[in-house]
Amino acid sequence: MRRFFTPLTVAFAVSTAIATPALSAGEPIRELHLLTRPQAAQPQEFQFIQLIAQEWRKLGLEIEVDVMPWEQMADVVWYNRDDWDMTGWQMVGRPERSDPDEIVYNLFHSSTADSGYNFIGYENPEFDKVAEAQRVETDAAARRALIDEAQAILAADQPNAMLAHPFNTFAYDKTVWDPSSVVEQGGIGIRNTWTFLSLAPLGDQKDIILNSADNIQAINPLFISGATDSWITELVWDRLLRIGPDGLPQPWAAEAYDWVDDTTVEVVLRDAMMWHDGKPVTAEDVKFSFEAPLGDEAPMYKPFVTSIDSIEIVDDQTLLFKLKEPAAAFVTATLAKVNIIPKHIWEPILSNLGSTDDNAESYQEETPIGSGPYKFASWSTNEEVVLEGNGDHFSAPKAERWILRIVPNTEAALGMLRSGEINFLSDFTADPEILETTATEDGDLDVVKTVDIGFRYIAFNNRRPPFNDPAFRNALSTAVNRDLIIRAAFKDNAVKSNSVVSPALDFWHNEATLEMDSGLERAKEILAAAGYEVIDGRLHYPDGTSETLGK
Amino acid sequence: MTSLRYIGSRLAQLLFVLWAVATILFLLFRLMPGNPLAAYIDPTFTEEQQAALMARFGLDRPLWEQYFIYLANLLQGDLGQSFFYREPVGERVLALLPNTLVLTFTSLILAYSFGIVVGAYLAWTRGSIVERATIPLVLTTRAMPEFWLGMILLAVFSFSLGWFPAGGTRPPGSEYGSLLALYTSYDFLLHLTLPALTLAIYSLGLPLLLMRSNMLDVMAEDFVTMARIKGLSTWTVVVRHAARNALLPVTTSFAISVGYQIQGNVVVETVFSWPGLGRELVKAVSASDYPLAQGAFLMIALVVVIMNLIADLLYGVLDPRVSHA
Repeated sequence: MRRFFTPLTVAFAVSTAIATPALSAGEPIRELHLLTRPQAAQPQEFQFIQLIAQEWRKLGLEIEVDVMPWEQMADVVWYNRDDWDMTGWQMVGRPERSDPDEIVYNLFHSSTADSGYNFIGYENPEFDKVAEAQRVETDAAARRALIDEAQAILAADQPNAMLAHPFNTFAYDKTVWDPSSVVEQGGIGIRNTWTFLSLAPLGDQKDIILNSADNIQAINPLFISGATDSWITELVWDRLLRIGPDGLPQPWAAEAYDWVDDTTVEVVLRDAMMWHDGKPVTAEDVKFSFEAPLGDEAPMYKPFVTSIDSIEIVDDQTLLFKLKEPAAAFVTATLAKVNIIPKHIWEPILSNLGSTDDNAESYQEETPIGSGPYKFASWSTNEEVVLEGNGDHFSAPKAERWILRIVPNTEAALGMLRSGEINFLSDFTADPEILETTATEDGDLDVVKTVDIGFRYIAFNNRRPPFNDPAFRNALSTAVNRDLIIRAAFKDNAVKSNSVVSPALDFWHNEATLEMDSGLERAKEILAAAGYEVIDGRLHYPDGTSETLGK
Repeated sequence: MTSLRYIGSRLAQLLFVLWAVATILFLLFRLMPGNPLAAYIDPTFTEEQQAALMARFGLDRPLWEQYFIYLANLLQGDLGQSFFYREPVGERVLALLPNTLVLTFTSLILAYSFGIVVGAYLAWTRGSIVERATIPLVLTTRAMPEFWLGMILLAVFSFSLGWFPAGGTRPPGSEYGSLLALYTSYDFLLHLTLPALTLAIYSLGLPLLLMRSNMLDVMAEDFVTMARIKGLSTWTVVVRHAARNALLPVTTSFAISVGYQIQGNVVVETVFSWPGLGRELVKAVSASDYPLAQGAFLMIALVVVIMNLIADLLYGVLDPRVSHA
């Protein structure tokens, strides 16, 4: 019998003996790492991460905050999906995100978990079904009910801890521009195409002079480059539809559009549109614009046109878009997104590029030609871009020129606004309080704040325990005092959030998501109910769960 | 003959230095954390797009292969294509370099002219109240952070007094036929003043103190005493005899400073929205835009080694005692 008494059996017997009294709890949860960007780059994020880490430590967790610049954080979170726990993250508002599809589907559908934007690895078949259903539901009311349901599922699952929708803060000189001509676009703010078209000069200064901290990457209708670049492309090129100030698509270069059936959209073009080089805009040009990205020369636009089965030119002004399957977001995500480009210019360029390694993204036209309300005039590297008002356009701007100055120094931009070197502050990343104080002192400035489509949140890596447990995520999210975060980190320049669909999108936002419990005590109750236990001040997994990572 | 051989060997050294710099840059940027694709992360970013970008940037090849492609291109004068701007690095660097050079040379010429004159004067009036008051003042200018000095000048001369514009090289929407037309315009001068002044004040300390200490050395030498005994005027002694000799090391320091100054421009270019190479460099490094970062640094390295070479050669011309034989 002695030979059965091996060291292994001893170890087994001893470990069972020790484990038995503590059978009610699993192993202690490892130290969790929370990523944030540096204070200098993201002061608000840096601060709310510190505040939230403090609260979570009170739950018996060991939280280590790791500070790293965006490029490094993006590399870890996006390309090393199994290697992180939690990170501060954000989505920024863009006009095309006025349709909730991009955010609801791409951020949470299981198909994008491997290499797409669902980098948190959230997988819920019930959610997938709803997200797919809203894609093909063309009836607005029915689709709204589905988007509501999607938000409710996310609120229950808490794949991320949503925190806030910040305000967009912009300012302009009200002695230069008529305040009644400034247009507020829901979720975007006053810096938008509509404002640039309708701004009416009060005196001799007829040029809109605005600022951006970022350099211009490219002025190219087939390349989705920097955010600032899109301000320019939206003015130089027309689209069939544009997202209106109310966040819904409205006819633009198309006089009208109509769903003939579930998979067919009829588009009627406006009369007498002209390219900036004097040639007429034709139905052929429009067809070409939607077919060009199908090849490999404009990879960033390709995802927006793959839903198209065929495009038929009915007559000079009418086109039929036939889709492979019903697609509710087609109107916003494709018709209001794809730039209409001149076939006579781009067809030869694309065919030349076809025989090289390069694609249309690295082709910069000397003088970009569109048909939009502003014409390209000049571009001086890292300094300014000048556009001229297109008087022949069906929606001709009231301003003479649109001049974008690159100003990397935010404080200097504010000074320039006061001195008149710029007259529209379109990019301001410093404390909004400073801007408001300055405006009060100056007297000539108008500051406009609006709620953004974008949002700030803490992403949980749903692949890794303990974040694979919805109860655990719920407890962490519940422990966050969002009112405090808004006051302390955002200085009241944000509204609290528990949904990826911003309250700025009035039609789609599910107000009920905000009725959530909050507070440390409630968080502890959730953890206790799910079987988590605090032993010697340290939170332990529920019975039988062992720590598999971070040892 | 000997001097030709000297120049030849210096040129060979120069090429070796550039190769070493190019190699170190190549490795350095690839060792840094970060990913050039980070700039493209977006909800509509697909896996095919990611793979296509890696292939386009050549990042799917092994490192040694990337290195040889890089060197081969470099030999043909091709700095590659910027990941971020999708534009040839050479074109971009050459578009920005003139702005940086104008700013650098203007500020250095200001600093050195003023520094040399005041430095010589202070040496001559050693021990006076003026000297005792000026030296700490000069040390203060050297200790002031550039961005701080720049912001102060902005606040006073631009935002309060309104004498100078706050950023850029030209008024909004103005057109110039050529770079020369821009650089010779009055508006450009207005835009140049504050950034050049900031850099000049910051760089003033070195030439001033160097000149002063050289003057003190020279003035202790026999030939100066001799000149005074001869009964020459003070002006002739100071300028023709003492200052001329004290100037030699200052000349070398000017040439070397040009290289250092170009790097130092980063801060001033940001404060004054100056479209130069320094700002681009920071952007390129933080965006992991390897080709652009390599190209910009290489260009700066080139300016530094050329200025060093010029300093060496100039020294031989100015001071016949130094022989390259």
